[in-house]
Amino acid sequence: MRFNAFRTTSFRLAALYAIFFGLSTAALLLLVYWYTLGQMEQDVENAVSARLSNLQSVYASGGVSALEQALKRESAQPGIRYRYALIDPRGIRVAGTVPYAGLGVEWQELEGEEGDGDDFELTVGGHGVRLPGGWLLWVGRDVETLHELRERLAGAVSAALAVTIAIALAGGVFLGWQVSRRVESMNRTARSIMAGDLTRRLTVRGTGDEFDRLAEQFNAMLDRIQALMENLRQVSSNIAHDLRTPLAHLRHRLEELRGRALTAAQYQDAVEQAIGETDTILATFESLLRIAQIESGRRRTAFTRVDLSALLEELAETYTPVAEDMDHILTAEVAAGVHVQGDRRLLIQMFVNLIENALRHTPAGTRVALRLPLPVAAGVVVTVADNGSGIPAEERDKIFRRFYRLDASRTTPGSGLGLSLVAVIAELHGLVIEIQDNQPGMRVNMRFPAQGGE
Amino acid sequence: MKILIIEDDEKTAGYVVNGLREAGYGVDRAVDGKEGLYLAAGGAYDLLVVDRMLPGMDGLAVVRALRRSGVHTPVLFLTALSGIDERVSGLDAGGDDYLAKPFSFAELEARVRALLRRPAAAVQQTMLRVADLELDLVKRTVTRGGKAISLQPREFRLLEYLMRHAGEVVTRTMLLEQVWDFHFDPQTNVVETHISRLRAKVDKPFQCTLIHTVRGAGYCLREA
Repeated sequence: MRFNAFRTTSFRLAALYAIFFGLSTAALLLLVYWYTLGQMEQDVENAVSARLSNLQSVYASGGVSALEQALKRESAQPGIRYRYALIDPRGIRVAGTVPYAGLGVEWQELEGEEGDGDDFELTVGGHGVRLPGGWLLWVGRDVETLHELRERLAGAVSAALAVTIAIALAGGVFLGWQVSRRVESMNRTARSIMAGDLTRRLTVRGTGDEFDRLAEQFNAMLDRIQALMENLRQVSSNIAHDLRTPLAHLRHRLEELRGRALTAAQYQDAVEQAIGETDTILATFESLLRIAQIESGRRRTAFTRVDLSALLEELAETYTPVAEDMDHILTAEVAAGVHVQGDRRLLIQMFVNLIENALRHTPAGTRVALRLPLPVAAGVVVTVADNGSGIPAEERDKIFRRFYRLDASRTTPGSGLGLSLVAVIAELHGLVIEIQDNQPGMRVNMRFPAQGGE
Repeated sequence: MKILIIEDDEKTAGYVVNGLREAGYGVDRAVDGKEGLYLAAGGAYDLLVVDRMLPGMDGLAVVRALRRSGVHTPVLFLTALSGIDERVSGLDAGGDDYLAKPFSFAELEARVRALLRRPAAAVQQTMLRVADLELDLVKRTVTRGGKAISLQPREFRLLEYLMRHAGEVVTRTMLLEQVWDFHFDPQTNVVETHISRLRAKVDKPFQCTLIHTVRGAGYCLREA
């Protein structure tokens, strides 16, 4: 993407800032302008009014002729700053130098050439008064300097505004460029990650600014995604492997069947076996679906108050003969009246999987103990312990992974999903699973969250 | 006995229709929810087998509409959604039983038979009797030929279920769901173990066997 300063956010902010900054500067300058010039204009007006009242008193005492005399005297003085006009009732100027051009009693500013021989440009501001008998006396004062000042001030103000806006805009472009350079480098990394290179990470400059923090968050997210992808890859290849084996078996059996002439009873047998094998495969899929469904977390809505004691007693009753048939011994010590919040059916499945895991992966003669002691302050804990062969410490974290099976149990039928299901159900219920060495054997503690126990 | 199948999938419908016809039922089929609702509302059926996912109007809506209009024909839901949530919502909507796809025909047939028998079993009974075997639901005692048999609570429930469905085939899955509340397939021989304990107490000391194994399907409690 080409760098386009005008499309960056920081430039837009800078432009906005330039506009506001320019507007406030303009307001400030206008204030200065009006205060200085306004004061000067007020001075001029006051001087003109004073002169007018002065001349009015001359008229009052000596009439028109005295006024004419006074005006002549004034005009004759060198360097005078006032200009006059005395206009008779017919509209003819009888004294003064201001060319008649619609003079009146309102304040006005006139530009023109002076009439009495010496031709020089003049700018005067002033006003007149009506005298008795229809005469008009007009007094104005030279406002040339005032005009000049006004122009200069206007020039200075516009120049200052222009410079302010230019600086603000330039700063905006620069900032925008700086920011987009950083963002663009992030974009490049993101693009190469999207293109498949999940190992790339954003550069962290170590300044601790917001870009660094963004990059750190981004990198943490990428780590998580990479781990999930890795997990998914692992699970997919495990699924492929674990389903291929029974499918290959099934195919092999069917192929054998095709090649041989069999009796109806033998066919019946072979078909039964084939159905049994497809059931195993379907059960694996079922378990995967259940794990996915529980993980999606929707099931928490089905939580009710569950009598954990009764649930475990029933399981103990159910599994005691099952254990006997497997040459194991199941014992149960279950305190009465312990309740927890949860999904009854899922809790049943979780404890069944734990009990069956202990029964199926231990040698004959193993004792399996199911315990629910009366809850103490630490909360409700259910323990499933066996005195079998146990598992190596380094394998303990792995047994809850999908399809993970200890080498020793590879030959036992099973999907390798039972304990994964235990893990997701436990997570849904906020349970903490502790795996300990039972010396000998394995002990699993299922610790319910404190608020779950009663 | 007339059964209506509401199922859009040709394969499943063909499999179910043919199987049930062979088993001697009169079977009609509707291809979508609207047609199903129309036919079922006629009320001439003893059982409805309804797919959860149907084009237009889904299975839940069909059954809700039927129940609202006062049709109480038993309903067996079929679904590819095998989770417990779907099971619960299906039963809440007025379904009587629930079967997840894929299923074996034996499983379907057993459930169909159980549902068709249901009205008789719904009558409040305090005593169940099959041949000389008696089960007292109030006193929670079992006798055979006048001799008391002592059962564990779970064995009692198992026998009760078998006796309520006497003469019918009940599958392993039905037993797991109804007797143990297990809605999954356990990895150990839970059902087999308990059936064999029950046989040891109920059948072994006596001459005639009541609990029979039906190969490839399940169990059946019946005389001879």
